[in-house]
Amino acid sequence: MIPLKYNIRSMTVRWVTTLLTILAIAIIVFISILTFGMVEGIYNALNSSGDQEDVIVMRKGSNDELSSNVSTAMARDLINLEGIDKDENGEPLVSREFITIMTCDRKNDDGTANVLIRGLEKAGRKLRPDFTIIEGRDLEPGVNEMIASSKMAARYEIFDLGGEPEINKVKFSVVGLFEAGGSSSESEVWADFRDLTSAQRFEGAVSIVNMRVKDEKDRLALIDRVENDDQFKLKAISEQEYFESQKGAAGPLLVMAVMIATFLLIGATFAAANTMYAAVSSRIREIGTLRALGFSRLNVLTSFMLESIIICLIGGLIGCLATIPLNGFSGATQGNNFSELSFALSFGPIVLGLGMGLALFMGTLGGLFPALKAIRLQIVNALRQR
Amino acid sequence: MHLFKYIWRNVMRNKLRSLLTISSVAVSLALMTVLFGYLSLQTVVQREAAKYDRVVVLNKMGFAAPVPIAHVDKIKKMEGVVTASPYSWFGGKYENQPFLFAQFGVDPDALFEVYSEYKIEESQLAKFKSTKNACVADSRLAEQMEWQIGDKIPLEGSFTTVNLDLELVGIYEAPQNTGSIFFNWYYLDELLKESVPAMSGNAGSVPVKCKVDSEVTLMCESIDAKFSNSENATLTRTEAAFAKMFADMLGDVQLFIRIISLAVVFALTLVTATSMAMSMRERTTEVSVLKAIGFSRQRVLTMVLGESAMIAMLGGILGIAAGLGLLNMLSGVPSLAQFFPFPVSQLVGMWMLGLVGIAGGIGIVSGIVPAVLASNQSVIDGLRQVV
Repeated sequence: MIPLKYNIRSMTVRWVTTLLTILAIAIIVFISILTFGMVEGIYNALNSSGDQEDVIVMRKGSNDELSSNVSTAMARDLINLEGIDKDENGEPLVSREFITIMTCDRKNDDGTANVLIRGLEKAGRKLRPDFTIIEGRDLEPGVNEMIASSKMAARYEIFDLGGEPEINKVKFSVVGLFEAGGSSSESEVWADFRDLTSAQRFEGAVSIVNMRVKDEKDRLALIDRVENDDQFKLKAISEQEYFESQKGAAGPLLVMAVMIATFLLIGATFAAANTMYAAVSSRIREIGTLRALGFSRLNVLTSFMLESIIICLIGGLIGCLATIPLNGFSGATQGNNFSELSFALSFGPIVLGLGMGLALFMGTLGGLFPALKAIRLQIVNALRQR
Repeated sequence: MHLFKYIWRNVMRNKLRSLLTISSVAVSLALMTVLFGYLSLQTVVQREAAKYDRVVVLNKMGFAAPVPIAHVDKIKKMEGVVTASPYSWFGGKYENQPFLFAQFGVDPDALFEVYSEYKIEESQLAKFKSTKNACVADSRLAEQMEWQIGDKIPLEGSFTTVNLDLELVGIYEAPQNTGSIFFNWYYLDELLKESVPAMSGNAGSVPVKCKVDSEVTLMCESIDAKFSNSENATLTRTEAAFAKMFADMLGDVQLFIRIISLAVVFALTLVTATSMAMSMRERTTEVSVLKAIGFSRQRVLTMVLGESAMIAMLGGILGIAAGLGLLNMLSGVPSLAQFFPFPVSQLVGMWMLGLVGIAGGIGIVSGIVPAVLASNQSVIDGLRQVV
């Protein structure tokens, strides 16, 4: 085995090319994992939204909340179903909700986007994971008040604290900003269920009913009843399953991420190969000497492969480290329900592992052919080379 | 001319290295071509939309809120309006697959006047107007789905509980691939009245054809003014602005594409610079000989810069060509057709020249350091140096 020191010294002799190659690899790894970070961010937003204990009831055949509607009478029967948990005051943890979207101007004249407005009952807030008011106060029903997620407040002027969005000429006022543990609720603006339906002139219309059933047996019995009882014939699924089905929203981005990573991977492999070919051809006499000293072909092959892999792994590491300041940086894109889904860039172990994997691949493939060239040399010819 | 030949010989000298550098540039520029091609497509959509003097009326709340069908008749009677049609998105499943193609409920009497650039045979149009459950399809869509006139197209409602039982009576030609079918809005409304009365009477959005000499932005204002006191206030935009709304939905992805491109350019500059630095290192003696026999500094500088520019340009042109080929392939996939409604030939524009320029720029910037080093190299040191 040729000592690693030999490779390190060789790299420092040609430090300019080595450094440039490392930088190029770093940038390419950085870009690739940036895209995958976006995809993971969207998955996270949808993942943390679903709670196994919560059940969403919607119309049979509808795939998302916006396209669902449940009749007023049925919704009333649903909230009285057996098995629904109660909060500390004995109120049932069930919320009738009405969903609509509203086209709003983004801040800084950055075009328009659709924002999901949800009318919900008080219990609905308790059903959301880690719901906390971070500024202002919770809304009071009956007086047309709204609360917006802090992310939405940052993106749209009218949803900032004190903003007065209008729905069909009914003026609402934003009285509080909330956070909800990074879930998709953070892409929404909330109003009272009755206030919103009457402003929309769909008095009593219900899109979905959201409820908590902790006990698994009760939950399965309830789901079965809602799905199959002639009284209802509705679709009931656990919240977790629902959000699992919404992951398609990240589909186009995932395709884009894979495409970008593939292209860049090929480009970077060529670049790495280029550097290693130069390394081999400027060290032909050295290779001859090594072989004359008794190092086997396999030793030389491993040595050059290792050198290439080290260069790429250093580059990959720099690329991964460069994403640290961007962790949690938030963005938004078209989600399901035709509305904007905001998410935080996330670089978890899988994404970073993928980045290092890409670097390893570049190093291996980029180093293989130059290393093969190195071991094919005849010792005598190599030593003669000037 | 001799200079050019000399540069070319130098490019071809280490074929493997040049090939690797050119491929590296080509692959990355192909990626940029696809990304920018997609962005510029949005501009083409907006530019095309501006041609036809059309405006689109929506509820002020956005497209989840209804536009009453009565609005359409009122708009038709307004001055400066040729005609208007309801345009209601159905979003049904076909053979159990959702969102395979777009379906709109329209007024058969008005649609082909509003979209006067869509061509359909007179007899087929007459049948579309007279048959209740008739529908017409885009010729490209019909081809992809292998539909013949007379075929049944059953659609299962996903946003509503009603199902449509359509029959294909005509095929229209549009300048771009609309990937849509149109059916009679009144047929849908009748079904809705029976099962979900609350959802009936909604025109969805209303495309309005304005007279040629009318000022479309003024038209938008006067339509909105007319309905500002009605229960359903409207927001009217030119068709171009309407198309832009959909492009805006991409959100931060557009910004992201630009950031990626910047980083790719930077990485490529490094790759090309590395390759040039390696070449020049091997030619130290040679450069000294050139200078010893009387080549000027400028000449040496131009030679090195020319070499790196040529390598990058070659890669750039190959890459852009490959990228365009890829775009062409993507637009041929049926479910992607709505994202790529225009053929690649319509996308030709300044941005392509821009990409070629970027490739040249990468070459020149990456050649600067090796070129300056070579032109400033002392003859004696260079000749002495053992590489």
